Amino acid sequence: MKKFIGNSLALAGLVIITTVLLAAIFAPIISPYDPNFIDIESILIAPTYSHIMGTDGLGRDVFSRMLYGAQISLLVGFVAVGISTGIGIILGSVAGFYRGWVDSFIMRIVDIMLSIPSFFLILAVIAFLTPSIWNIMIVIGLTSWMGVTRLVRAEFLSLKGREFVMASEAMGSSDIKIIVLHLLPNSMTPIIVSSVLGIASAVLVESGLSFLGLGVQAPTASWGNILTDGKEYIQFAWWLSLFPGLAILLTVLGYNLLGEGLRDILDPKNK
Amino acid sequence: MYYKNIKPYLLIFLFCSFIFACGKDNSVNTNYQNYYDKESGGRLINAMTGEPSNLIAMIAGDSASSAIANNIFNSLLKYDESLNYAPEIAESWSISSNQKTITFKIRKGLFWADGEKLTSNDVMFTWKLVTDPKTRTPYASDYQLVKKASAPDPFTFVVTYEESYAPALDTWTALHILPEHLLKNEDINSTYFSRKPVGSNYYKLDGWKSGQQVSLTSNPLSINGKANINNLISRIIPDTSSQFLELTADNIDLMNINPIQFQRVFPSRKDLRNKIGLYKELGNGYTYLGFNLKKEPFNDKRVRKALNFAIDKNEIIKGVLLGLGEPLSSPYKPGTRWNNTKLKPYPYDSIKALALLNEAGYKKNKDGFLEKNGKILQFEILTNQNKQREMTAVIIQRRLKEIGVDVSIRVIEWASFINQFIKTGDFDVVVLGWSLSLDPDQYNIWHSSQQEPGQFNFLGYKNKRVDSLLEKGRVELDISKREKIYHKFSDILLDDSPIVYLYAGYGLSAINKRVRGIMKPSPPAGIYHNSYDWFIPKILRRNEISDI
Amino acid sequence: MISYLIKRVLWMFPMLIGISLISFFIMHLAPGDVTSTEASFNPKSSEESRQKLREIYNLDKPVIVQYGLWIQRISKLDFGNSFSSHQRPVLWETKDKNGNITKGLIQEALPITLLINLLGITVIFSISIILGTLSAVKQNSWVDKSITLFVFIGFAIPGFWLALLLMYWTGVSNQWLPISGLHSLNYQNLTLFGQFTDLIKHLILPVFVSSLSGLAGISLYVRNGMLEILNQDFIVTARSKGLNEKKIVFVHALKNAILPLITIIGLSIPGLIGGSVISESIFAIPGMGKLFYDSVLMRDFPVIMGILTIGSVLTLIGNLIADLGYAWADPRIRKGITK
Repeated sequence: MKKFIGNSLALAGLVIITTVLLAAIFAPIISPYDPNFIDIESILIAPTYSHIMGTDGLGRDVFSRMLYGAQISLLVGFVAVGISTGIGIILGSVAGFYRGWVDSFIMRIVDIMLSIPSFFLILAVIAFLTPSIWNIMIVIGLTSWMGVTRLVRAEFLSLKGREFVMASEAMGSSDIKIIVLHLLPNSMTPIIVSSVLGIASAVLVESGLSFLGLGVQAPTASWGNILTDGKEYIQFAWWLSLFPGLAILLTVLGYNLLGEGLRDILDPKNK
Repeated sequence: MYYKNIKPYLLIFLFCSFIFACGKDNSVNTNYQNYYDKESGGRLINAMTGEPSNLIAMIAGDSASSAIANNIFNSLLKYDESLNYAPEIAESWSISSNQKTITFKIRKGLFWADGEKLTSNDVMFTWKLVTDPKTRTPYASDYQLVKKASAPDPFTFVVTYEESYAPALDTWTALHILPEHLLKNEDINSTYFSRKPVGSNYYKLDGWKSGQQVSLTSNPLSINGKANINNLISRIIPDTSSQFLELTADNIDLMNINPIQFQRVFPSRKDLRNKIGLYKELGNGYTYLGFNLKKEPFNDKRVRKALNFAIDKNEIIKGVLLGLGEPLSSPYKPGTRWNNTKLKPYPYDSIKALALLNEAGYKKNKDGFLEKNGKILQFEILTNQNKQREMTAVIIQRRLKEIGVDVSIRVIEWASFINQFIKTGDFDVVVLGWSLSLDPDQYNIWHSSQQEPGQFNFLGYKNKRVDSLLEKGRVELDISKREKIYHKFSDILLDDSPIVYLYAGYGLSAINKRVRGIMKPSPPAGIYHNSYDWFIPKILRRNEISDI
Repeated sequence: MISYLIKRVLWMFPMLIGISLISFFIMHLAPGDVTSTEASFNPKSSEESRQKLREIYNLDKPVIVQYGLWIQRISKLDFGNSFSSHQRPVLWETKDKNGNITKGLIQEALPITLLINLLGITVIFSISIILGTLSAVKQNSWVDKSITLFVFIGFAIPGFWLALLLMYWTGVSNQWLPISGLHSLNYQNLTLFGQFTDLIKHLILPVFVSSLSGLAGISLYVRNGMLEILNQDFIVTARSKGLNEKKIVFVHALKNAILPLITIIGLSIPGLIGGSVISESIFAIPGMGKLFYDSVLMRDFPVIMGILTIGSVLTLIGNLIADLGYAWADPRIRKGITK
């Protein structure tokens, strides 16, 4: 913890992420308006006291939509990363623990997935499955597990020769027990770091998909689709692109700083 | 040390990108305000979002292709400024007394851009091509109604229909006549001609850099005479925000804009208004909300009418189009003879709506939703990825919620939309648009025989009186009788309320003021109708050697 | 070395089959087919015409038969023609009986994407090496922190937003750079040098925007690599011998830190070929990303499959070369292999 406070960048990341999380959780309390409340009498109002981030093309309050959008953007990040980390841990453990042909097979699948441009894969699948928030999370998850798999496998390989693992094996513990009780807990650092970084990427991927019209669909607000709506009026209704743009920037930045900070802090070599 | 200076640079660079140089007051060239006489030459640069795929329009089917092909090819007939039939390749036409045969007299002395003669043989060849089963065209059905076609001499072309067909002349304004001498030994589906066409209209193809631009240059052998502007360049810019930046930076002359740009951006930017003119005209299409008539509760006319009353069309026009649209009460463009002016759109009236729903058996439950036999009135509005339709659905959702109807919205990419939902009939309510041809025939959309998967009556509309009116309208050639038929048809359709007419939007164009000769107000046929007559005064032209 | 090479090459075949299977079956997740986007919903087209289209394209055959037919053709490097009405060849140009040459879609798009991405990767690597080294040398100082912050901001900023802001700034309010496109309209009339500078001007923004997001990964990689090496025995020894610090950093340490980057280049090839749909749309650049996106929306299966296959094959080859390059460059591995 002391190290954390010493690492100003990681601390900044943590502050940003906590703020965004709080904003998302308390969105119903903080937001001054219903995010989907339409008011065609006040379309595209620049930020004022009553609409601190202005209004959008249907007179909806951008600040409220940003708060609810935070929920969606974070949900996409967490679920997608949950899926990819889950797959990664399972496949990585199996490959790293059993080695042999299972390992080769899994690692070849990893290679295959890595050689297909991943955004292409996401794009094709989302377009074909029709874009819904669940499809987006699942597809991002299913196309980004390869890194975690490799990490877990590598950790297992380096841990397997260690004494405590050998001892446990000698005592006749089951494979699952060894994996869950001994190997995984000792491989957590890279998994946590890569998950945190993965959330950042998922938020960016969602905004990219929104740009292409394949992101979270109306009327649900996500930062990506608020920004996409705003891009047409970058010279005129600047608030429509500035706030979601900055929000994405800061959040992704926050996760990255936090992730890198954690890597430094948790890395045994730095102790 | 040697790297000390790096950081400030980086930061400056980064923050520079956040600086908005808002509303820079360019001293506008005063020449823009002067009057100029017509002079020929110059080039016009416009932007399109997609690349044309194939300049043979009967094969292509995308709007980018037809926009370019229309400058290159002619049809037998065309519509004039006020939307009457006018001669183009045919100098005259006559209809036999039994109304089944049309004889076209082809103009003499017409040439293709490559110098070959254009005769009735080319017309005959084109008809054979479009009706050939091997030709991959979706437009064959109109021309297959021709039982017999012949070209007795180089300047006569005769078609005979099985029975009289009222939209016939309209179909001959749409078919681009193709040169037989270049295509007779080619496979029309894959010929290189589609990328190197030879036509007879104002322009001919000059160059085509795929994915970047298509350039046309004036055709000295044009059968319509010479256009004023020498070169038309269409740049392919997929993103409309980028297009708008190009327009404001003076790099393109013309683009379609959206209501916000029209109503909000331009009024707030004097520098833009000084150099760019805005034009609006009612488009050839309308947006509607359509019910799946085969499904409960939309098979109940009272429910449909109630929902029609509960949707505030004026609010949608104000909110989505910022006022740049018209409400409708028939599937015909306001201002044309087919539009029945006696009909009025359903006014917004939530009390009437509730009364009708009560009549249909719906009562408010304790949560405020309308309920019948324990089921609340709820459905999903399906629409494709179109910003305006999305916004429309959102506004409708809000209004219907007020009277206790639970509406969700789903936005689907086009190909999936058609295949998963429309063709299978697996939907409740759609927000979609129809584009309109100038002929009033709506047989494909409303006749009860047109309900197979993939056909256009996917809402499942079935009404014997409408069926018989549509059948009559197709064979009636007398215009005033036809008018009565379609007025009656519109009347029944409005009362039946299978769709809620939402709006007909205005087409909005922004055109640089260097382009002169644009008709304002625009004629019924649209502002582009006289684009051959537009001109760019020499003094206002870009420096064409070294610009951009 | 030879046996390693053979083994690596042989491995490519099962992988190719895997890739083709994945891509082929993903395509058929799609409930739409090309006839639904072609001329769809024009009241003037009829269902018979659509049925006709479907038959011509073999779409009515079972998926497995379609796959068989496809693999058969692929093995002859025949990727077929686009479903779109222009029917252009997917991969390479064809000549008709009159000698007209129709260019292949990938043939035209790939060089553009490769050019931009190679420039991008050059920029990314050269800047990253500088930034990473600086960071490592000045570990935990304000220099290190601002570099880290900068590269992360570069990664985090939504690309299309930055692109539009820069386009507005450099193209509209100051007319320094062209806004979009690849060439000026008068490109043909320029001198060779003029064409070159014209192209460069058009590429500055797209390359800058796409490079910015790549800096973070590589520069941190260099930084961490450098840190590890700077703490290693031979550097410590060199220091204790009183060797010049600059020389230690730039000659001994940097060389060792850069070496693993070769593998990274191999890994970044999918992105290299894939291009960026978003930046290509914004900047109106007809590259692979835009081609792929359009094909997906059109359900243009031959093009989708062609791009996925060609992309993956090039990636495999790229990885192979990178691995071999690494093996060749690193004496430890080179020796290991020859053993």
